[in-house]
Amino acid sequence: MKNEKPRILPIKNIIIENDRVKTFVFEYEMDFAPGQFVMTWIPGYDEKPFGIVSRKKGEFMITVAAVGESTKALHSMNVGDMVGFRGPFGSTFSLPEAGSIALIAGGYGMASLFNLSKEAREKGIEVHVFLGARTKAELLYLDWMKELGAVLHLSTDDGSEGYKGFNTDLFAEHVKGHPPTRTSSPPSQGGISESLLPEGGLAKDLPFEGSTSKGGGMLTKVYTVGPEIMEMKVADICYQNNIPFEVSLERYMKCGIGICGSCCVDPVGWRMCVEGPVIDGEKLKEIIEFGKYHRSASGKVEGYPWTKIS
Amino acid sequence: MIDLSVNFAGIQLRNPTILASGIMGVSVASLKYCEESGAGAVTCKSIGHAERMGHHNPTVYSWGQGLTNAVGLSNQGVDEGVGLLKEMIETLNVPVIASCFADTVDNIAKVAEKLIASNPVAIELNLSCPNTENDFGLMFALDTDATTRAVSQVKKIAGKTKVFVKLTPDASNIVDVGKAAEAAGADALTAANTLSGMIIDIHTKRPILTNKFGGLSGPAIKPVSVRAVYNLYKAVKIPIIGTGGINTGEDAIEFIMAGAAAVGIGSGIYYRGIDIFKKVTDEISEFMEKNNYRSIEEMKGMANI
Repeated sequence: MKNEKPRILPIKNIIIENDRVKTFVFEYEMDFAPGQFVMTWIPGYDEKPFGIVSRKKGEFMITVAAVGESTKALHSMNVGDMVGFRGPFGSTFSLPEAGSIALIAGGYGMASLFNLSKEAREKGIEVHVFLGARTKAELLYLDWMKELGAVLHLSTDDGSEGYKGFNTDLFAEHVKGHPPTRTSSPPSQGGISESLLPEGGLAKDLPFEGSTSKGGGMLTKVYTVGPEIMEMKVADICYQNNIPFEVSLERYMKCGIGICGSCCVDPVGWRMCVEGPVIDGEKLKEIIEFGKYHRSASGKVEGYPWTKIS
Repeated sequence: MIDLSVNFAGIQLRNPTILASGIMGVSVASLKYCEESGAGAVTCKSIGHAERMGHHNPTVYSWGQGLTNAVGLSNQGVDEGVGLLKEMIETLNVPVIASCFADTVDNIAKVAEKLIASNPVAIELNLSCPNTENDFGLMFALDTDATTRAVSQVKKIAGKTKVFVKLTPDASNIVDVGKAAEAAGADALTAANTLSGMIIDIHTKRPILTNKFGGLSGPAIKPVSVRAVYNLYKAVKIPIIGTGGINTGEDAIEFIMAGAAAVGIGSGIYYRGIDIFKKVTDEISEFMEKNNYRSIEEMKGMANI
């Protein structure tokens, strides 16, 4: 019989990513596949889903921004304090056999994509990461991605690092085969060592072509995790260029085990904690609420600012 | 050919499996998914007078021998809920049972009246949610008097809609409460809701559910529910939905032989997947074939000796 009571683990280490974001390290062999999440119990406050990151056997991490009461409580915890985990839960990303892949990550999306990058690199797949953030300090895991040998295409809203603008625009330019010339200063010592990057890496924004472009087939698959408006733009680009893709779709979760109905999507009813959160681009077409609305804890439909619910 | 259809309180079901209230049931899509996965009927998540976000997580988890939950009756409130129920009834092909709750007997009649306007085939009075004591006080279904008042008030305004009453195994005598519901005009009973319990994490030294205690469900409580159905079947004439820990066709048959005319499935979705409805139905069918039973009705109450 399954036993998924929260597994209580002491915080082993805390990495300060920036003034709002911390990564919490736990000593435990989490048997998970890229894309899955853990329900994380902050005793006395709440339990929330987070993507799982693992850089070595016997250890995993979650990266958390202090945005609400419970995440602020977690941020105030120290090494040795207890956190509970249920999971891993949910569907997983699937890698192509060969070729190159592009990951488009915003917010804390990189957490769900880190181990996909790791697996891809271990299989010899070229990994292009379009990592976007508001500002340089919010670009996560740069050293770790560099270590993996991923090709980084950075962008920031304020231009403090990489391309000034949205990572989706930078990605779209690459799909067209015409990467923009760099508009900001060369990368500073943000931990990016170009020598570790294949074919020149970050500074030259290695071009690739979409699978429908001349000499196509280079870009085999795209993966995106981040704010839904960003995921929506990536989906549009992929549909227009016939590039297979997978998205991680976040919905309000209570049970995490497929029974409470909170994270079911319209009109198919798929549970984002079981059939999701990773959804294939073809299946995504059936989820009409994608990019339009989600449900709150009460089950009430809440539209996004950029859409009107019909 | 084995006939799995049942006539439950005048409602025709293609098979005896019914999605229990509180499981899935948040949206039209979540119920449609259960219908497509084989459910004979579905129950929406309980609707109350006002919007509720429910308790903070953890609200549901598996503890080894079953699940425990204290979701806290999250719902959109009856004004939104009326439209939701209407759309559920229009979209689904199988019967939709409207579950409702309230803090007082008067309020449950008010909520029920609004929902009944959408003409559901049945309304299930959730008189037995164990997770909202701080907001609502004790469950009505602990008490024959409160149950009588709630059922008779709703029955007055129910029209063609059948009135089901969901009982609690926490009652000191569930049979007395079931008899009171029948006497007040209930058309069917659901036996039973979750059993109150508490699980403490010894490392963090606190109950795990944010609500501290919650309802136990799943395999651990099956014998408690079977006994409730068995004793109620002897005491009442109205049909019973047997609910509590059904994971397999054999579990369902156990309830039917105790006296249930249909079976509720909830936590089993966790154990066997969303298609548990089809699996249980197939397994009931296999058992019937092997043992030469022709109908669910024929097996009903067989073990009630």
